Amino acid sequence: MKRPRGAGKKRAEAADRKTIRPLRLPRDRAFWRETLEAYWYLIPAFLVLGTFVFYPFFSAFKLSLFKWSSLNPPGDFIGFENYRYIFHDRFFWKDLGHTFYYVGITVPVTLTLAILVATLLNKGLRLLSFARTSFFLSYISPIVAMVMVWRWMYNVDYGLINYFLSLVGIDAIAWLNDPRYALPAVIILSVWHYVGYQAIILLAGMQSIEQQYYDAAKVDGASGFQTWWKVTVPLLSPQIFFVFIISLIGSFKVFTEVYVLFNGPGPLRSAETIVYYIIRSAGRIDNVGNHTGRAAAASVVLFGIIFLFTIIQLTVTQKRVHYD
Amino acid sequence: MLRKLMLVGLAAVLLFGMAAIAQEPVTIEFWHAMSSGHQPNLQKLVDDFHAAYPYITVTLVYQGNYGALQSKIDAAVVAKNLPAIAQVYENWVTPIASILYPIGNFMTDAEKADIIDGLVPSNTYNGVLTTVPFNKSIMVLYYNKSLVTTPPTTWAEYFEMSKALTVDVDGDGKIDRYGTAFRPAANPEQFLIFLEQAGGSILSADWKEVALNNDAGKAAAEFVGSLIPYSFITSEYMSDHMKDAAMFVDTSAGIAYNVKAATNAGFELGVATLPAGPANFDSMIQGTNVAVFNTENLTQAQKDAAVLLAKFLIRPENTVFWAEKSGYQPVVKSAYNTQEWLNWVAAHDYQVQMSEQMLNSFSQILHPNYGDMRSVLSTGFEEIMRGVVPPLEGLESMATEIEALLE
Repeated sequence: MKRPRGAGKKRAEAADRKTIRPLRLPRDRAFWRETLEAYWYLIPAFLVLGTFVFYPFFSAFKLSLFKWSSLNPPGDFIGFENYRYIFHDRFFWKDLGHTFYYVGITVPVTLTLAILVATLLNKGLRLLSFARTSFFLSYISPIVAMVMVWRWMYNVDYGLINYFLSLVGIDAIAWLNDPRYALPAVIILSVWHYVGYQAIILLAGMQSIEQQYYDAAKVDGASGFQTWWKVTVPLLSPQIFFVFIISLIGSFKVFTEVYVLFNGPGPLRSAETIVYYIIRSAGRIDNVGNHTGRAAAASVVLFGIIFLFTIIQLTVTQKRVHYD
Repeated sequence: MLRKLMLVGLAAVLLFGMAAIAQEPVTIEFWHAMSSGHQPNLQKLVDDFHAAYPYITVTLVYQGNYGALQSKIDAAVVAKNLPAIAQVYENWVTPIASILYPIGNFMTDAEKADIIDGLVPSNTYNGVLTTVPFNKSIMVLYYNKSLVTTPPTTWAEYFEMSKALTVDVDGDGKIDRYGTAFRPAANPEQFLIFLEQAGGSILSADWKEVALNNDAGKAAAEFVGSLIPYSFITSEYMSDHMKDAAMFVDTSAGIAYNVKAATNAGFELGVATLPAGPANFDSMIQGTNVAVFNTENLTQAQKDAAVLLAKFLIRPENTVFWAEKSGYQPVVKSAYNTQEWLNWVAAHDYQVQMSEQMLNSFSQILHPNYGDMRSVLSTGFEEIMRGVVPPLEGLESMATEIEALLE
C-alpha cells in the first residue's frame, strides 16, 4: 500500500511538537513574587507610555466622535460624522496624496544617500570626525532656522540653487511660488536635513561589524563591492531597518518644514500634508475654524496608515534582517 | 441740627466706605501677542493706566504669536481659567461670544459713537458693542513712484495702468514686471474688498443666504479675472517681490517692511487709497480687538478693572500714541483730529491716505463660521488668480461651499 506523500514528515512534526511542548513551570510562590517584581519595574514605563502615548490616542479617538465645542467640551456626540466629512473633503485626499508622494521619495532617497555617506565615512578618511560633525550639523541645527536659510536658497532671483542651475543652463525655478515645485522643494530640504543623522547611525553600525567577516571575504577573493553588498549591507540590516522605520514614521508626520518654508500650505495648497490638514482643521493655523473632532478623526486615520505600514515593514523586512 | 449732623456723618461714612471699596487693590492679567518691539509701548500704556487707576495692577502676559495666543485662550476656555482681558481676533471669540463681558454697556453713547464706523459691526455681538478695537490696520494701494505718477482712482484706471505697466523688459518672451500683484491664498481679503466695492457681501443681511454670487459678486470676480494677465501672484510677502509689480494692495501695517524693500530695490514707494469700484472705495480693516471675559474664575472687581483698561486703550490720546509707535491706525474718530495726530500725519505723508482709507472701511462679518468661509475664499480666490478655474465658475464653487457652511 502506497503511503500518501509527506505522511511520514507530518508524523515526525507531530512527534516533535509533542516533544517540544512548552514547558509548564510550576507556578509556585517564587514565580508569582518574581512576576510581581517584574511589574514593579515596568510601572514607570507603563506610566510614561500610558500618559503620553495610550491616553492621547484613545482620547483622540474619543474626540473624533464629537462635534467640538470649546464652551462645553468635547461637544455633541455625532458618531462617525467627522470621518464622513474628511472622506468627502477633496483636500483630505489631496493632502494624503502629497504625503505619500513625500514619503515615497524622501524615505528611500535619504536612506540610500545615508548608506553611501556612511560607507564613505567608514573608509577611514583623514578628517573623519570633521566629516561626521559636518553631516550631523544639518540634523542638529534648529529646523526653523534651517528652513529660513533654505527660503533664501530657494529664492527665485538671488537663491543659490537657481544660481547653480543657471551654470548648467537651466532657467530659474520659482521653487516657492510654483505648485509643481513646492513639494519637491520640501523633499530636497528634508533629504538634506536627515541624511546626516541616518548616516551617523549607519556608520556606528558599520563600525561594529567584526573584522573577521571582512577577513573571510578577503580569503574568498571577494571584490570591494561584493564585500560591501554581501557582508556590510546584510550585517547592517538591523540599523537599516531601524532607520527605515523611524524615517517612515517621521516622514508621514512632516509639517514644520512646509509651514516655515511657505508660511502656509504652499501655492494652491500644493505642499499641504496630512499633518498640516490636522493642525489646520484644529483651527491652529491659517485662521480657520476650530474643528478639533475632524482633526482628531484625521489623526486616527493617519495613525492607522502608519500602523499598517509599520506592520507590513516588520513582516516583510524582518525576514531579511540579520541580528548576528 | 442734630439730624443734619447725623446726615452729614452718614454721608461721610458712605463716601469713605465707597472709596474704600473702590480702592480695594485688584490685579488683572492682559494676554497679548505683541512682539518685543511693541512691548515697551504697551507697557507705557499700562503704566499710564496704573497712574490713572492706582488700585489696579495690570500684568501683561506675552503669549507668543497670534497662533499661540489663540491656543492659550482656547485651552483657558476649556479649563475655565481665562484672563480678565485679552487681545483677540473676531473669529476666535465669535463661537464663544456668550462668555464675553459687554464692554459697550459701560461706555457712554458718545464713546461708542466715536469708534470708527467700519469697526463697529465687527465688535458688535447681538446688537451690543462687546469688544473694542485695538491694533488695526487697513489695506491700501502701494505703488512704485518711479513708474506711477498718479495712482489709479477707479477700477477702469487700475485695469488700464496694470495692463500698461506689465512689461517684458529684456524681450525674452517672459514678463519681467507686472502691473499689479495679489497674494490670494494669504490674503483673500483682497477679493472681499472688490466685492465690497461692487456693493456685494458674502452673505445676505440676515445671514440666511449666500450673496457672494449675486450681480455684485460676479462684477468683482470678472474684474479680478480681467487683471490676471497683468498680475504677479504669490503666497509670499510683497516685500520679497518689490521689483515684480508696479502696484499692489497690502496692509498698512506692512509700511515699514515695504518701504525698506523698495529702498533696497532702488525706488520710492507711494501709498494711495484704493481705486473705487461701482459702489465705493472702501477697504477692509484687519487686526485684533480687546475682549473682557465674563467667567466664574473672575471677580466682579476684575471685570470692572478690565473694562476700564479697555476703555482707556481707545482714548484718543492713547490710540494715537499706540498708532505712532506701532504703525497701526487710530481706532476712534476723534483721534484723527488731535493735534498730536495731525503733527504725525504732517511728518508722514503716507498717513494722509491711510487715515482717509480708515474712515472709508469695513470689517469682517461676525458669523460663527467666518473662519471656514475665509478658508473657502482663500482657496477659491487663489484658484481663480492662478488660472485653475475661470472667475465665474470659481465664484459659483465658493458660493456652494459657503452655502454648506450655513447649514
